[in-house]
Amino acid sequence: MASAIRTRGLTKIYRGVVGPAVEALVDLNLDVREGTIFGLVGPNGSGKTTTLKLLLGLIFPTRGSMQALGDEVGSARYRSRVGFLPDGPYFYDHLNADELLHFYGGIFGLRGAELRRRVDELLELVDMAAPDRRRRRVREYSKGMIQRIGVAQAMINDPDLVYFDEPTSGLDPQGSLQMREIILRLRRQGKTVFLCSHLLAEVERICDDVTILNEGHTVRQGSLAELLEGEGLFSVEARQVDEACLAQVRDLAQSVQATDGSVEVVVADEPRALRIADLIRQSGGKVTVIGKRRRSLEDVFIESIEEAQ
Amino acid sequence: MSAVSRIPQYTAQWTRPVLQIAKYTLHEAVRRRFMNVILLFGIVVIASSSMFAAWAPGAELKMIVDTGLGAIRIFGLLMAVFLGAILIPTEIEKKTIHVLLAKPVSRMQFLLGKFLGAYLTVLLNIVLMGLAFLAVMYLKRSAFAGEKAMAFLYPNLAAALVLMMFELLVLTGIAITVSTIASWVFTAVFSFFVYFAAQLRTTLGHLAEPGHYDNPISQGILSVLHVVLPHFEDFDVRQKIIGGEPVLANYVGMCILGALLYTGILLLLGYFVFHEREV
Repeated sequence: MASAIRTRGLTKIYRGVVGPAVEALVDLNLDVREGTIFGLVGPNGSGKTTTLKLLLGLIFPTRGSMQALGDEVGSARYRSRVGFLPDGPYFYDHLNADELLHFYGGIFGLRGAELRRRVDELLELVDMAAPDRRRRRVREYSKGMIQRIGVAQAMINDPDLVYFDEPTSGLDPQGSLQMREIILRLRRQGKTVFLCSHLLAEVERICDDVTILNEGHTVRQGSLAELLEGEGLFSVEARQVDEACLAQVRDLAQSVQATDGSVEVVVADEPRALRIADLIRQSGGKVTVIGKRRRSLEDVFIESIEEAQ
Repeated sequence: MSAVSRIPQYTAQWTRPVLQIAKYTLHEAVRRRFMNVILLFGIVVIASSSMFAAWAPGAELKMIVDTGLGAIRIFGLLMAVFLGAILIPTEIEKKTIHVLLAKPVSRMQFLLGKFLGAYLTVLLNIVLMGLAFLAVMYLKRSAFAGEKAMAFLYPNLAAALVLMMFELLVLTGIAITVSTIASWVFTAVFSFFVYFAAQLRTTLGHLAEPGHYDNPISQGILSVLHVVLPHFEDFDVRQKIIGGEPVLANYVGMCILGALLYTGILLLLGYFVFHEREV
């Protein structure tokens, strides 16, 4: 599959007039596959927004190269094929939703019936088509409504690549669900989505590939399946395990977590997992799950950040 | 299709975002409260110029022309400076520029769009104040009968208003250009400084001549200011109007040409600074 975005050694260092230079991003190598959802995660100040700004040509790299959609980042052709929803977007607040989308649509050369149709479609998609919503000034919008209109403007040009920075920020659970649907729909249409988010559960649910950044450095990178696989570990989940059995299990396990009568045991290999399961059964306990351990993205994230520190 | 035949299509494509940004900047600017307040004050001062004229019997025309054109210039100046100073810093501060520059809008197109939008707003307000002024002149026309100035009064007033429009074009260009690298407060202060220093341009030129200062640095600074400052004195033709002298078309033409050239150079400078700026 071809790369929608490819960066090599992408680095951004801020050099102030006084004080030390700040390395916002160091040697980032990305290969975002076309037609996939890519997640960029990391704690605050890890370089996510810097990466986005570099890929949008809002700031310029100190060194390294970037290519996206087969063009140089910053070229007019590239920018006519991308959409962007910033974090906590702010729009011209004297306009209403209709006017705002007409403004952005006009930038792309859309006009007349085509522009009206596109605006109607997008307002419908983000649940802003009702007259009282589309005619209200942006300054009167709630955070969630601004986010919705932000999504609509990001898609006004039917982009091939869409950058979303914290797309569910300010949305209620129903709005978050709709947002997820929109993102998944974009993938079904063959578009590439570049997603920056703090919400790891959200990223885990929809992303194909993930890169974890910390203090400007890449600490983990790969497909979501690879990252969550857990380095060949196995887990046994059981109930009604008595103390004597638990003591035996602890000798064989890498970790044991007991909560509310249920126990999760993590072991290094399959034979050990089977042996523990036998021990539990023999002591009268009930084994509920046995298999390859699948970690959550949160586990991977915390582990990666701790390793990096 | 040959490269030459594609020029109109390319030009239309290139100007589309510029005009779109200008249109919405105008849309936003005319809704700004401070612009409305300045316009209101301007019209009140122009309307009351006939009242001031009553205090100066025998010099009513001079009073009305001085007050009316002076008010349009001062209130136009306030609009050009404040609007030019706030547009780009506000876009950067509120981050609305991020969404816009992520779309196929180059920095030059953005700068030109903002400049054009600001200038059209100033122009619209000048036209409104100009109409108010012409209305006052028309209502008081019987009081000026027989005055020497009446010979060329209306063509001269039209020329004065056109010159003022181009003077404010330069000033809007100064404010927009400086605002690409500075805060709006600095931009406003700097633009006012340039405007008032430019009124003294001729004096600065005399002071720069040998004999006035022994210090070559002071002389150098004065010479540079004399050359670099815009020729705003040339745009003020009130004395000619009062004296009944015609303001010739080629004089107006030269001033317009100078203003366009000066503004073009300013915007190019603004672009060179802005295209490297990280937002």
